[in-house]
Amino acid sequence: MNIASRFFSQGGEEPESFLVAREQVEHAIEHAIHYLPSQGPIAVFVHHNTLHAYEHLPFEQGVIEGWKQYGAQPYFTEERYRSEYQRGRITDEDLDCELGRDLGVGGSDRVVFSTTRYALRRMMLRFPIRNGPDEELRWFVSETDALKLFRSEAPQEVSKLILDRVEEALLAGGMSRVELESRALQWMHRVCLEGAGLVGEVFNDIRLARRHRDILFESRGIDCDSRVHEQLIRFLGSVTDQGFAQWMLPNRERSFYELFQDYFGVAAAFHPKWLQLVSRSISEDRAAGRTSMDSIVHSLHVLGVREYGVEEFIESTFLSLPGWAGMLWQLESNAAWTPRPAGKGTLIDYLAIRLLLDRASLRGSLLEMSEADGLKALGDGSLSMERLAQELRFHQRPGVRQTVEQRAFILFQLAQLLGWTPMDLSSLKSAEWQRLMSEISAFGTMERRRIFHLAYERHYRVGVLDALTAHGECEPEGEIPKFQIITCIDDREESFRRNLEEIEPRVETFGAAGFFSVPMFFRSVSDAHYIPLCPVVVKPQHFVDEIGQLSQQELQRRQAEARRVLGQASRRLHLGSRTLVAGVVTSLLGSVASLPMVARVLAPRLTSRIRDLVARVVKPTQATTLLIERMDGEVGACGLEGALNRGFTHDEMANMVERLLGDIGMSRFSRLVFIFGHGSSSLNNPHESAYNCGACGGGRGGPNARAFALMANDYRVRRKLELRGLMIPEETVFVGAYHNTCSDSIEYFDIDRLPPSHHLEFLEAKETLDQARSENAVERSRRFLSAPFGMSPEEALRHVEARSEDLAQARPEYNHATNAVCFVGRRSRTRGLFMDRRSFLTSYDPTLDGEGCPVLTRILQAVIPVCSGISLEYYFSTVDNQRYGCGSKLPHNITSLLGVMEGAASDLRTGLSQQMVEIHEPMRILFVIEQEPARVLEILARNPGLDRLVRNGWVQLATLSPESQQVSVYESGAFEPYVSRGVQTPKYHSSAACYGTTRDHLPIAQIDSPRTVGGEMGGVR
Amino acid sequence: MSLVQFFASLVVGAPVIGLVMLGLSGLLQRPFSELMVDRIAKISVGVGLVGALGILGVMLWTGHSVEVLDLGNFVEIGTEHFHFHLEFLFDRLSLPMVLMTFVLVGVIGSFANIYLAGDAGYHRFFLSFSMFLVGLLFAFLAGTIETLFFGWELVGLSSALLIAYFHERKAPVENGLWVWGVYRIADGAFLMAALMLHHLTGEGEFMRMVSATAWPEGIVRMDNWSTWVVGLLLLVAAAGKSGLVPFSGWLPRAMEGPTPSSAVFYGALSIHLGAYLLLRMGPLYSESIGLRVLMFSLGLLSAIFAAMASRVQTDVKSALAFASVCQVGIIVMEIALGLWYVALVHIIGHAFLRSLQLLRAPTLLRDYRALENAIGGRLAAGEPFWVSHLSSQRQMQWYRFALERGYMDALIEGWVLRPFVKFFRVCERIENQWLQKLNGVGSGQEKQSARGERERVSE
Repeated sequence: MNIASRFFSQGGEEPESFLVAREQVEHAIEHAIHYLPSQGPIAVFVHHNTLHAYEHLPFEQGVIEGWKQYGAQPYFTEERYRSEYQRGRITDEDLDCELGRDLGVGGSDRVVFSTTRYALRRMMLRFPIRNGPDEELRWFVSETDALKLFRSEAPQEVSKLILDRVEEALLAGGMSRVELESRALQWMHRVCLEGAGLVGEVFNDIRLARRHRDILFESRGIDCDSRVHEQLIRFLGSVTDQGFAQWMLPNRERSFYELFQDYFGVAAAFHPKWLQLVSRSISEDRAAGRTSMDSIVHSLHVLGVREYGVEEFIESTFLSLPGWAGMLWQLESNAAWTPRPAGKGTLIDYLAIRLLLDRASLRGSLLEMSEADGLKALGDGSLSMERLAQELRFHQRPGVRQTVEQRAFILFQLAQLLGWTPMDLSSLKSAEWQRLMSEISAFGTMERRRIFHLAYERHYRVGVLDALTAHGECEPEGEIPKFQIITCIDDREESFRRNLEEIEPRVETFGAAGFFSVPMFFRSVSDAHYIPLCPVVVKPQHFVDEIGQLSQQELQRRQAEARRVLGQASRRLHLGSRTLVAGVVTSLLGSVASLPMVARVLAPRLTSRIRDLVARVVKPTQATTLLIERMDGEVGACGLEGALNRGFTHDEMANMVERLLGDIGMSRFSRLVFIFGHGSSSLNNPHESAYNCGACGGGRGGPNARAFALMANDYRVRRKLELRGLMIPEETVFVGAYHNTCSDSIEYFDIDRLPPSHHLEFLEAKETLDQARSENAVERSRRFLSAPFGMSPEEALRHVEARSEDLAQARPEYNHATNAVCFVGRRSRTRGLFMDRRSFLTSYDPTLDGEGCPVLTRILQAVIPVCSGISLEYYFSTVDNQRYGCGSKLPHNITSLLGVMEGAASDLRTGLSQQMVEIHEPMRILFVIEQEPARVLEILARNPGLDRLVRNGWVQLATLSPESQQVSVYESGAFEPYVSRGVQTPKYHSSAACYGTTRDHLPIAQIDSPRTVGGEMGGVR
Repeated sequence: MSLVQFFASLVVGAPVIGLVMLGLSGLLQRPFSELMVDRIAKISVGVGLVGALGILGVMLWTGHSVEVLDLGNFVEIGTEHFHFHLEFLFDRLSLPMVLMTFVLVGVIGSFANIYLAGDAGYHRFFLSFSMFLVGLLFAFLAGTIETLFFGWELVGLSSALLIAYFHERKAPVENGLWVWGVYRIADGAFLMAALMLHHLTGEGEFMRMVSATAWPEGIVRMDNWSTWVVGLLLLVAAAGKSGLVPFSGWLPRAMEGPTPSSAVFYGALSIHLGAYLLLRMGPLYSESIGLRVLMFSLGLLSAIFAAMASRVQTDVKSALAFASVCQVGIIVMEIALGLWYVALVHIIGHAFLRSLQLLRAPTLLRDYRALENAIGGRLAAGEPFWVSHLSSQRQMQWYRFALERGYMDALIEGWVLRPFVKFFRVCERIENQWLQKLNGVGSGQEKQSARGERERVSE
């Protein structure tokens, strides 16, 4: 084989001293890992800051670095911001204010004539600066009114001033206005052209070619990655498969690298040439006894990568398939819970494999070129990038170069806006032109987008802060509320709580992280495995099982057996339909499938009802209980992580109850206290887990709520709490419940244990809660295009139920989309504010917190990372859905049970889908904390992790004084008192009146129904 | 107009009118609202379904086994003895297929209406989708081979368009082009067969051509040799359209489009078009044992290959795609064995089952969890029984064979595509040289051709 022999001949040409050191490669890999997406297997979706690797930089710098690294947009496009400006979402005031703040004292520097930098930039923001290729500009100038009339947006007084001065200069008193205008503009354009000609080249940003493939692609249009990816993606799918394929890769216990050698090691004659090159290099590696690390070093040598370029080269090699590389790292480092985690060193193996394939494909591409090119010789020799670039006459693309005409056109437009007369302009010297032009290019589109973005955020921020200033007076506590509920802090519960408060003013609501400080591994009666129900940063230490109640255990055993049989049968059917012989039988009977299909698509809700009815035969009854109590000798029962405990001791229970009630500042108790865990269920939704409770690590929080209620009701726990000074009245009963945020259904746990004395109250409360969830469904429906306005609460409830059961529904609910604020403080400060499901609400009572704010510290340690993760993931998936997000959901294809690809074969797509974020407004989340600024600063000082997020501006921060209406805003290390604009917050008598019939975002409003517990009662229903 | 004629024109007319309305609205740049599009799609399918049921009723009532809707000659050139004869045949073969088509297209259409709501390509999708429906109806109901070809082409075109639905990305367009290419091969074979049939029998009508009586009985009026050639060509056409060996590679590529369109292609309808063609031409094949053996082997080979390929795929949609090929292979075997009614039932059952599976493919994770919970443990995976007897190296080779989809695409690319392109490159070069000679030496010409080549490479 001629090619191959030539290929080998160069292997040992260069002395070994050119080899990059192993340590350096290791270091480069470690470094590169930071830039990989940190999304794990999709069954457990946890929201992360997409740019977590850049958190050490200020936000505005980080997004630009991200743009350079991933080629992804840092902000919305300029057109998008301009349309937001057009429709008033960004106002002049916002722009002026943010621009002024950004420029500081530098804003008053003169740029030219009397124009300050501030004035120049202000005009560039307010009015679009158009541009285009020379031909287009020439056409525009000669065929339109550009040289006859002033730009339509140009301020009247400015154009008048210019005309007057030109009239003076030309001594053309009698000239008609029309002629004067065209004379002035022509003159102006000519001067601008001359001036622009005096200015040196101005370059825009340069994106470097980082890999060999980039050079080949840019100069010849040959993408040698595409066939590598085709092979690699299939192979990666097999290696990482978590149990989808019936026939798995043989010898899966071997390392990734060895599997690759087995798989690609033999090439048949009909294989394409480059694959034969791959198998040749494999046998060479084998003969030389190279490990994967050795192979990387060798490949880098062959590819001519030198020490100084190693880091960047490895980074960009990983980033050519970021999703898969990231998933391998997650499987290797962070996925002990999956059926088939990856072994240590998998990512290193992957790099070795990738480089082998890249090498072969590149060489193959060069060898395939026609003789005439003279490039064929290159295929045989060394493959350094320098040599390749030289041979291909490739130059780093110098971005978009502005021509004289383009520069002139920009100047021409600005002159009209800023009143630069042709006479003034023609007096400018070359250096002044240069200065003017560089001032203009210093405020390029990226800078403009940055200011637009700040203004976009400001607009919403001042709305919130004004509303809080105007609204949040502290009122004395009134009588004991009718009942109390604790929900998750989730933004989706905001509307549920608000609607409940509107329906029944004598209800008090609290928000706490939805695992209710009960971290556990949980397994329900019908589950096969334990799942962790707590934030991902916490490692649960306890196992909790759901078991049938004694009287039901025999029935449940039989049901479990029936489920097992049915499950096995259904699995056989599924697999069978894909095989030869069994497939015939299933297909011949396949017409039966037409019934469920037609039914499911045309009447999803009815079908699911019927299915539930049928399933009731094998479904476990509600008659279960949780094994939360530690039994003697039950230590290290399950051994997932060594010695873990089954159930909690009473002391541990008391700790958890005390902790939660202390955190939310609950000091008085109604006779009924509900705790709502939440989750979401939908069909045909690979991202389903992302819709669940973030505080439960992408699980459903029902069991946590149930466990908490059981603990808080336990008399032994209460006795222990009493000793610690926490008195829960004897007649107070806790009820655990589960709120499905997609179908707005509520399930109550253990109500059979409710003492008869509370039955009536429970039923009343349930009725109120039912009313609240239907009102909530109405409010949610306003966002859904397919939901008509004017639905009754019952219809709305049916609508959202159908959504959660509809196979065809790509938007079962909108999850955290539109999230923008997180309020940490007493509910009384926000109660009665219509926050449009955009605010996380964490209950915290500053008056009860101790010295050094231990409670607030604890809360912020949990809330800031979690909420900022959600907010930033939504931010990035929205501003660049293709690169940071996972694109449209419609062509998604689940692969290896790990993630989704687009269509037949693509990178694993991470981030959020277009359907999830389409209504989101990308903004950094605004935390408003009810505490004095000084104490918040102290907390930040003690928690470098939080401080980094806040100081670098990845979140916005403000405080609300516990004693007064004073709001302070955090800015570069200190809090500045906020002065309200004094704009009246709109008032409505109910939420429904507030949202009316609009699908758009709404500003914060006040709902002026009786809003505190102690206030006047009644009159609402 | 008799009752049958009325119903028949409903079946054919309603979808055609739907297509024309959607097409015109796009052409005139007056797009309908999504609600209106949905209504048009639903009404055209609903009316068509009523018509088809009506004909079924009439046929059961009267006991006729064939009804014909003859629209006369669409084009007729007397001197050249050419006519394009539009004729629709409702018989025991086409009617069940049409009923199935309406039900499936209707269901998948209403699925897509919700699934694609608000998507930028909503209108485009429904335009292609209704074109697809019309194509299928023409193909299934065709009474003449030219009508069948017309429908066949429409199906091919709309399929390629739907695969390339996300045309802002590269992969869908490339794959759409690939599928289109494979379809062209099938179309080429079909066209040749049709011409030969015409030539030999002077007719394009199935009724007179292959059968004097209603399907499935029939006698072929051709000599042995012609039967072989026509039969072979039609077999190639069917293999291309149904993704049989060696054309199976296009199936997984077809899943670039949104889920509902994938469901109609390899899940349900267009993949069975090839099998339908063989059924329709059944009488032709029953004449020749050799052809039947060939057909049987093709089916068997495809079924075995696809069963292997399906087992190793790690993504849902590819696994389902190959599972479909497996069943189509078996259907072809059944046709070869003369079990036509079994094949018909098999087609319909398989179409429904696979569509349902595809429509709920994205629920896979949830289904797996439910199964695991029911069974109470991890789901076991194994390997085919025969594999465990092989050596480790052989196992890997077979595995690779299955995962690489039998190297079929690579082979087609290497042995068909590249030589093809190369040939025409050479032709181009010669042409350019001649042009240069004719024009006198023009350097501009040369530059242009170099650029053209570069562009082609980047494609």
